[in-house]
Amino acid sequence: MRYIKWVFIIVFWTIVLTFLHYTLPQKDVVRIVNTYEERQDLADWTRIFWSVPDDQSETLINRDVQFIQAIRPNGKNMVYRNEDTGWNWPPYFKFDTADLYTDANDMISTKDNPVWVSVTHYGWRNRFLSVFPNAISMKQVEGPDARVIPWVSIIILIILFAIFWAIRVRWRRFRRARIDPILQDAGETWDGVDQRYTETRGKFGRWLDSWRSKPKN
Amino acid sequence: MAVLRLIFVGFFILTIIYGIAALYSRSVRKAKLAQEWDTEIQQGDRDAFIREGLREYSGSFRRKLLFGIYIVPVLVILTIIYITNFVN
Repeated sequence: MRYIKWVFIIVFWTIVLTFLHYTLPQKDVVRIVNTYEERQDLADWTRIFWSVPDDQSETLINRDVQFIQAIRPNGKNMVYRNEDTGWNWPPYFKFDTADLYTDANDMISTKDNPVWVSVTHYGWRNRFLSVFPNAISMKQVEGPDARVIPWVSIIILIILFAIFWAIRVRWRRFRRARIDPILQDAGETWDGVDQRYTETRGKFGRWLDSWRSKPKN
Repeated sequence: MAVLRLIFVGFFILTIIYGIAALYSRSVRKAKLAQEWDTEIQQGDRDAFIREGLREYSGSFRRKLLFGIYIVPVLVILTIIYITNFVN
């Protein structure tokens, strides 16, 4: 029973943390090298990793998606998609895909004369599933080792923790005040029943015994 | 329309949260009034004291602060829209 409880707790927190890691904004410092558009199939289950930018596309089975290709300071690559999130989840309310595409093209730079950019994004890059993080905004920074602090994520995590804690404290107080006494009551009642049964059984048993044939001598 | 869905679902969820918060806030106020009567006043009608206190609470600014449950998310969404789309 204890193992089941722990498995349940671990699965629950894994789901919560995975969800937060996918949804909360992160910032990368990168150098943008190119942008491109590519037709993407939207008919399989990986549809959940693409946005729903407008009303028509919900029934489309494929459409063009904009991508931003970038190189990180350590030389490894990163590819972002550039899609409206619109009024849908996650709540970035991004409608300026075309503007961001323009900015990205404006910030394209070469290895010899690099322009470093801090790209705010959410989501994951996965090669097997062809999943790309969605770029939200970008800002030029001084250099490849510029320090970018994810204030938004920090604030959201603090607020979430505060809400979680406030509910937890109140729930524990409620349980101590209302539920534990009832359980205790039930336990005591049961003890009483148990004892009464034992006593009654004693009386009844003695009465029964009184009908049994007495050993004759 | 995604925006209508957001408005309806958001309003529904916020209404649930508002309902729970309102009930909770009222019960906390009631417990405080009862405690005040038990420890300090201890004379007159206890129920009338609590009823009067709750009536005062119903018209109070503190209770109206609960409407922030509706207002704050709207302001947050407007701020996010502004920052995402109009600030580089």
